[in-house]
Formats: sequence, C-alpha cells, structure tokens
Amino acid sequence: MSRTVTLAFRQALLEQRSFWRSAEYALFTFALPLALLLLIGSTTATGYLPGTHVEGQMIFVPSIIAFGVIVAAYVNLGAKLATLRHDGVLKRIRTTPLPASAYLSGVLGSTAATTLAITACIMTIGALAFGAVPRVSGLPEITGGLVLGVVCFGALGLALSAVAGSAESAAPIANASYLPLAIMSGIFDPTFPVPHWLSAAVGLFPVRALAQILAHGYTPVAHAPATDLLVLLAWTAAACAFTAWRFRWH
Amino acid sequence: MSTAIEVRGLTMSYAGREVLKGVDFQVRSGEVFCLLGPNGAGKTTTVEILEGFRQRTGGTVSVLGMDPQAQPARLRERIGIVLQECGFPRQARVAELVDSWRGYYRSPRDLDDLLEVVELTQDRSVQVRRLSGGQRRRLDLALALAGDPDLIFLDEPTTGFDPESRRRCWAAIENLRALGKTIVLTTHYLDEAERLADRVAILQGGRIQIVGSVRHVARQAGVKTRIKFTAPQQVLDGSLPPPECLDLVMDGGLAVCQAEHSGPALRELLTWAAANDLGDLDDLSVETPTLEDAYLRLVTGDAA
Repeated sequence: MSRTVTLAFRQALLEQRSFWRSAEYALFTFALPLALLLLIGSTTATGYLPGTHVEGQMIFVPSIIAFGVIVAAYVNLGAKLATLRHDGVLKRIRTTPLPASAYLSGVLGSTAATTLAITACIMTIGALAFGAVPRVSGLPEITGGLVLGVVCFGALGLALSAVAGSAESAAPIANASYLPLAIMSGIFDPTFPVPHWLSAAVGLFPVRALAQILAHGYTPVAHAPATDLLVLLAWTAAACAFTAWRFRWH
Repeated sequence: MSTAIEVRGLTMSYAGREVLKGVDFQVRSGEVFCLLGPNGAGKTTTVEILEGFRQRTGGTVSVLGMDPQAQPARLRERIGIVLQECGFPRQARVAELVDSWRGYYRSPRDLDDLLEVVELTQDRSVQVRRLSGGQRRRLDLALALAGDPDLIFLDEPTTGFDPESRRRCWAAIENLRALGKTIVLTTHYLDEAERLADRVAILQGGRIQIVGSVRHVARQAGVKTRIKFTAPQQVLDGSLPPPECLDLVMDGGLAVCQAEHSGPALRELLTWAAANDLGDLDDLSVETPTLEDAYLRLVTGDAA
C-alpha cells in the first residue's frame, strides 16, 4: 500500500515536471482563466447585482475559479490522456508493474497541483484587482469545493478520454460539452438571462454546482450548497463508474 | 536446464471462434525462442496470454513459475516487454525517461548500464522526439530492460529498420542472451529468426506445427540440401551422363542437385567428377536448407 502511495507521488512529480516543461502549454492553461478574469472584471461585473445586495465580483471571481478547475481537470486531463493513449504511452506503462491506481492517482495529483496554482493566481488577482476576498467562515466551502471539483472534473476527464475515439476529438468534445453549460450557468456573466426550465436543467450539471459552492465561500448567498454538493458527488460517482467500465490503456 | 515458460493445452476462443486449439511448448531458461507463423495464426494472442494481458479459455500456462493471469503484477516485475509502435511521453529526454521507468520496478538495472547495453550513452540528454527510428527502437529496449527482467518479450523488434540498425538490434539481443536472459521473439523475418533463435516454433491454425532448432525444423520439413556447380560442357551437350544415383537438374548453366544428406551426395559427386576427369567442379556450393525454405514448405505447402 505504502509503495503504491510512493509510486503515485513520484508519478505526480514526473507529470508536473513535464507540464511545466512544455512552457507554451502551461502558459495558456493559466492564461485562459486569468484573461477572462481580467476581461470580465474590468468591463461588466462589478457593483451590486441588479435587485440584490450581492457584489458582482463575489460571484464572478469564484465562477472563474470553477472555470479554471474545469479547464485544468476536465479539458486538459481528458485531452492529455487521449493523446497518451493514442501515442501508445499508456499501453507501454501497462507493461510495467506500476499499478493502474498509482498511475491514475499520480496523474490526478499532478492535475490537483496545477489547479491549485491556477486557483491561487485567480484568488490573488481577484483580491488585489477587484477586492473579492473569501469569507473567513467560507473556507470549508472553498477548500471542499476545490477538492471535490478536482475529483469530480478529473473523473470526468478520465471518462472523456475514454469516450474520445481519437486524440484529436478529445478537445472538441470537451469544449462542446462544458462551454455551453458554462455560459448557461452564468460563469462569465452572473446576470445572463436563461428561461426557468433551462436554469433548472443546468442545475443538474456539475458546472454551476461547483461555481455556487465556491461562491458560497465568498458571499453568504441565500441558499446553502447542499444540493450542489449532491450534484457533484453524483457526477463523480457516475464518472468513476463510467471510467471503470470504459477506460482503455490502448 | 530449467524451464522459463511452460504452456500446455492452451486454448483461446473469441466469441465462439477458437483461435488457439491446444498449444503446447516450452521455453528453456537462457534461450532465444522464436514464435513464427502467418498473420492470424494466434501469435499475438499467445504472447499476450503469456504476458498476462489476456485471460485464456483453457489449458495451463506457467511463466517464470507464475500463472500470468493470477499474478500479473508480480510477473511484470520480472519480465520486459517490447511492444510494436509504442510512443514516448513527448517532452522526455532519453536518460530521464529510462530513469523514470526504473522507478516502476523494485530492483531496477543501473541507468548507465542500461544506456550502454542499447548504445544510447551518447544520446542520454537528447529529447526523445529527436531520435531516429533505430534509436527509438533501442530506447524501447532500454525501457523493457529497466527492471532487469529475467525474461524479455520482443515483438517484431526490427520492423522498418535499415540493415545497419537491424544489425545493431541483433547485436543488442545477442548481448542479452550472453547475460543469460531468456528471450521470446516474434518476427516476420525468417533470416532474423534463423540468426537469433536457439529454437523456433511455428504456430499455424491455432496449433504448434513444429518446434525445435532451426536445423531440426528444416529436417522435419523435408527440405533437402542443395548442391550447385557450374555444369561441365560434356554434361550440357549430353556426351557425359550425370551420376545416376543423384537427382541432378540443369538450371541454365548450373547443375543443381538436391540431397537428403549432403556428405554422401558430395562424395558421390566428386568421385564421379574425378572418374570423368572434370577436376574440382567449378563454383561448387552446398546450401543447407534455410528456415525460410522450411517455413514456406510447412506453412504454405510450397515445395521450395
């Protein structure tokens, strides 16, 4: 058991080294959420949201954090694993005694580290540029939301890599699945108008659920995030089950 | 000599179709064993069962004393697998990649030693994507050897190689044998099998048709030794009849004689030449049957 943990940790370090070494890749993984944060922050969403006592930045900063989690854990991880499978690297790893659990936890651990770095950047810029500081009593929501978000979207990334028939199709599938949801969930604009039925449908998906849990760490909006928690847990379970069923090494 | 692999009555069916119909063979410790056979004969299936990637339908399999489907993880500590067309992580450098692979094993082989064996010492800090095809295949080998395995599976190790790279790969395989490793080789190149293998097995129609040394297989296939020489003028114009007891055929200016045993046939031929004042026969050559001759005869029924 302890050997599996050691191997997983070492694998996470290897993955991190390869992530930071591909400077371009790392740069744009960070650039996307940060650019959106600055762009949205400096144009629309500051001041009180219409008809509420909630300041816009208290919603959109955590929303961008959620967006960063999705990009790093879901889009990047899914595309990366699909590429590794396509290149035969996964098959090669399978020929070694490295346990599958150690490899996958290592990859997820590295994803978590990357996500943490992105989140730290967003929180810092959010605080310095827009005055969005989390509530002290909101720390459980922030940390819990981040952990659960990485696990949930990481599992969905694994599932995505299992769905994608080729390395090329992984990124389009990822974008087509999360971007419409992100827009409908008000990630980029909390006041984005959606019909009631659509809002109810979007609420069943993990994008808005994660954003709302994190937002709750910034501002005590009316509802407690219990439903959102359930949504994330359900998607995590579904993604894990799907991955166990369909994940292939070659 | 101890046994590295023991396969008895191995059967395998996919969706009701029987691919392996009772395969039996043994691989001895320290030998190079080559599995040959036409496409679709079940070579890959057999090897994947030995490696623990596939669950067999029936029969018993023991690899280094372990049942591959019962203890695949323990087995993988002690075997090395060189797969066809497997990529590398894109950002990696040679020594770094080999070193990270060493980390997957409990008792890995020394890094410098590994690079030395596959002749990549000079290229240790080269990015993997800058390697030539031959270098990549040698890196494949280095990764398969990272855990210092007792048994190595090589799948088509020289496909797509130029002659120089082929020779270097063969040299690496011969080094491994010298180190006492057991090697299971699958290949399409019969000259490669002939050059490297201590014993070969031909798998066809889901069964082992024949197994043994290259010589043994050739003999069993009934391929005769060919003796050739430039046909003397007297034989060509019909003034001198060829020796009666030999089956001599004219092929252009060449006389070709096929014989079961080359010794008596040669004695016969040279006696006949001396008696008829032909001296030493010009361009006399003796071609012992090649594995290719035997293979073609056995697999396609071709009387080569």
